Amino acid sequence: MLFLVAAGLQLVFGVQKILNLACGSFYALGAYAGVSAVRWALGAGLPAPLFLPVLLGAGLALAAIGPVIERLLRPIYDRDESFQLLLTFALVLMFEDVIRFFWGTAPHQLGNVYLAFGQLRIGALTVPTYNLVVIAAGAGIAAGMGWFLARTRFGRIVRATAENREMAEAMGVDMTRVYTRVFTLGVALGTVGGALVIPATAAVNEMGIDLIVEAFAVVVIGGLGSMRGAFAGALIVGVVKAVAIATWPEVEMLAIYVIVIAVLVLRPAGLFARATA
Amino acid sequence: MRLTRRRFLTLSGAGGLAAALPLDAAPAFGQSGPVRVGVLAAKAGVTAPVGESGLRGVQFATDRINAAGGILGRKVELIVEEESSPKDTVERFRKLALSDKVDVVSGAISTGVGLALGPAAEEMKTIWLAWDATTQKGVEETMPKPKYSFRSTDNECEAVMASIITARQWKGKFKTVAGINPDYSYGRDNWAAFLAIMKKYGMEIQVVSELWPKLGATDFTSHVATLVQAKPDLIFSCFWAGDTPIFLKQAHAAGLTKSTKLVLTTGGGVHESLKKDFTPEGAILGYNCFYFENPKASALAKEFTRWHSEKFKEWPNYESDHGYFTIVAYKAAVERAAKAAGGKWPAQDAIIQALEGVEAESLSGPRRYREDHIMEAAFFQGLTTHKNRHDFVTIDPVESMTTKQIQKPSGVGLYDWINGWKV
Amino acid sequence: MIVRALGVLAAAALLLVPVAGIPYTTTLLLPAFGYAIALLGLNLLFGSTGLLSFGHALFVALGGYTAAALTSRAGVRSLEVLLLAAAVTAALVAVPVGLLCVRYVKIYFGMLTLAFGMLFYSFLYKFYTLTGGDEGMRVLRPVLLGQPLQHLDKVAFLTGPFYYYALGVLVLAAIAMRRLVRSPFGLALRAIRENAAKAESLGVSVRRYRLAAFVVAAVFGAVGGVLLVVPTGLADPLLAYWTHSGNLVFMLLLGGFDHFLGPVLGAVVFILLQDAVMSLTPYWRFVFGAILAIVVIFFPRGLMGLLDARRAPAA
Repeated sequence: MLFLVAAGLQLVFGVQKILNLACGSFYALGAYAGVSAVRWALGAGLPAPLFLPVLLGAGLALAAIGPVIERLLRPIYDRDESFQLLLTFALVLMFEDVIRFFWGTAPHQLGNVYLAFGQLRIGALTVPTYNLVVIAAGAGIAAGMGWFLARTRFGRIVRATAENREMAEAMGVDMTRVYTRVFTLGVALGTVGGALVIPATAAVNEMGIDLIVEAFAVVVIGGLGSMRGAFAGALIVGVVKAVAIATWPEVEMLAIYVIVIAVLVLRPAGLFARATA
Repeated sequence: MRLTRRRFLTLSGAGGLAAALPLDAAPAFGQSGPVRVGVLAAKAGVTAPVGESGLRGVQFATDRINAAGGILGRKVELIVEEESSPKDTVERFRKLALSDKVDVVSGAISTGVGLALGPAAEEMKTIWLAWDATTQKGVEETMPKPKYSFRSTDNECEAVMASIITARQWKGKFKTVAGINPDYSYGRDNWAAFLAIMKKYGMEIQVVSELWPKLGATDFTSHVATLVQAKPDLIFSCFWAGDTPIFLKQAHAAGLTKSTKLVLTTGGGVHESLKKDFTPEGAILGYNCFYFENPKASALAKEFTRWHSEKFKEWPNYESDHGYFTIVAYKAAVERAAKAAGGKWPAQDAIIQALEGVEAESLSGPRRYREDHIMEAAFFQGLTTHKNRHDFVTIDPVESMTTKQIQKPSGVGLYDWINGWKV
Repeated sequence: MIVRALGVLAAAALLLVPVAGIPYTTTLLLPAFGYAIALLGLNLLFGSTGLLSFGHALFVALGGYTAAALTSRAGVRSLEVLLLAAAVTAALVAVPVGLLCVRYVKIYFGMLTLAFGMLFYSFLYKFYTLTGGDEGMRVLRPVLLGQPLQHLDKVAFLTGPFYYYALGVLVLAAIAMRRLVRSPFGLALRAIRENAAKAESLGVSVRRYRLAAFVVAAVFGAVGGVLLVVPTGLADPLLAYWTHSGNLVFMLLLGGFDHFLGPVLGAVVFILLQDAVMSLTPYWRFVFGAILAIVVIFFPRGLMGLLDARRAPAA
């Protein structure tokens, strides 16, 4: 799921050259909203397996704040990138309290509803089918993004803008609309990601802040500006963590940072970076 | 919750709350101004729910005391500040002590904060009654003879009790053991205590896996997978936060909870989230020092539980009792010292002396402060059951042990004490 | 003119606070001094060299832990030695870290510094036998200029001798930084910030200058860190967390990175503001986020920028 958040980060950065520290906050928002939505739906009598569309719906609905936030960020597009970092940091602080205000400080979770899809036996392991659904969703979205960027008209506009903004503008592309849409898409990736993970875990206080560092690690490892990189990065981070836990649990916390630094030292632009990073 | 916040704001508002307006049936309050109690409650992060819980206990105590006329006729006024990082919390403590000039500070849960506040309380000569955060380091190394700091029960108590129950309940019934504990002092201390006690009881066990996820982690898929591979007969965990239900959920999904014995020393803190869906029966579950459905509960406990569930739509947990006790203990000490002072408000030194050895009725029964400033209380643990009217597990029968059995006495090292047991 | 007058007023106020007899405000300002020194360093990095570090808290924490290790483990109590040791340790750590970081600019630099900061945080947290882990490491009361001052209790110590000592260190640090910024070194840094390629072509070794700036910033950060932990009495891993770095940047922006004294103003205002807001509402993070947002959007040059409207804006 780290992929979705990282992908959102990538998209926004690739096109608008903004690094969004608040992407973790969107993830958190999607998570909390997802819990509330599903709880309400189940309480209203919805059959268990249908929680998935509700979840997706909640995630997508929350992406509606995308345009609002984007308007807020607009004044600083042309400024030094550091200001963008700072403004999104401000958003992180604000979102933390907003979430706390609406949902309180206790963790929110959805019980066992995700087992409604059943479980699978793979070798010696029993895996909830839902987990596979999420992985498939992640892969699906990744593929979808790829197709979207390569094939659709809007996708091409997005890429063109990423390459050379002035040119795209000169060719008549409405920058404002593109930016708004791209940003919203990035936000959606975050909120949907948050919503999708929630059934298997829980929404907890400060999850946005904790996630940010991992998301950054993924983006750095994969390379800024590349969708494939985000996917690969998330995969690597996940694998490294799993391996660390299974072999040398003590270093679980450190492993990820060491990799980040290693990548930055050896392949500074990340593993899959585009030429114009 | 919003109601509570507003309440705190009004209470802490001006600090210039002059003699309070008489409440409905309450008597008019004394002329010498209110008793100011500073409260340090965590508001953000993984400790926030616990901080909130403690604050509710403090609030309940304060309301009852004020309704009954306050302490020696003086109304109790709460000034609530946030417990966050050690550095920031020490600064808030300083504000309470120097600027708000509180008579006593109640609060603190996290170990780092506890370690920093001890010396701070001594330096600022302000009585500090902690809710939690008692590590051996704080007691032995940094504050061997505190004057102003009064600590809570030892962090290891729950592990000690759970280990004793494990030894009694399952002796000879398990061989391989795995531990999954949060990666910080609390996790390490409890795991070490468990292993030491297993050894003391002569249990021949083999540790097949030791996992150390970050405190408050939200994903245990890899951990669960590792545990499944390791095939332990028993899993020991001192998770106390949101990680507890998540771990159980994911463990259950992988089939781990069916065949493995579980020891959850502190999971009772988040008991309402331990749904029957994924929490098995027959696990040892600890509720620290307060269990919400104790058949032997006092009228006070029942009243509190009812008040809490009506007001906050959730059942109380142990931190409320810690918070409650600090307030009633302070009142009891003041009254005890006042008797010697002829009924007048006693000097701070007299209050401190009175606090040592003071006994007061907490929500879970009588508690006291030992002469060495450590709290004595009762702990509640038991085997989980699904036979109840909730959607989460409870324990039956409820077993209770006091700190006399599970907390090391003053002046003895924890492991020396364990080694000296007669089993 | 206004700036000068306000400056004198502020300086006088700072000198008189302990005498005014409000112990709380006095102790409140102590972290401001520590932060101000750390920020002078950050300002060199950002204001002069154009590199925004989101991991500056690493060096602040490093300074704090150096002081902790020396006082509680090695029995060293002299504050002068602590400050010196912190500076040296910071320089030693800053060289390899800097070498890695200054290869990149802007976003990459920010991200890489964030990563290093978090790495240090994890290190402090994990290696508990060395660092005390989540419990932190005690910082015992230091000896100022050879005077143990045992007769003073901690509060009197903090509001009296230590206050002036810290203020003194701040003044010295400010003077040193001013000299540095005005020196050819400082000019070279600004040239690099404006146009690195051009500077390179003129024979300025861009990387070496950036590294130097990084190391100097680190030293200032660590010195500030020592002064920061003495009042608390404890150094804990949260000092290195990325949000702490974020707060440092916030303070710098608030004060104004363009102006030399911006950092000092930012630190003081931030601390006082935080104290006031924290007591007013539990949702102070929201308020602060909003303030930061407003500053970034409308007043990017910070408070000094507001006061000193006559100065030509930096590019």
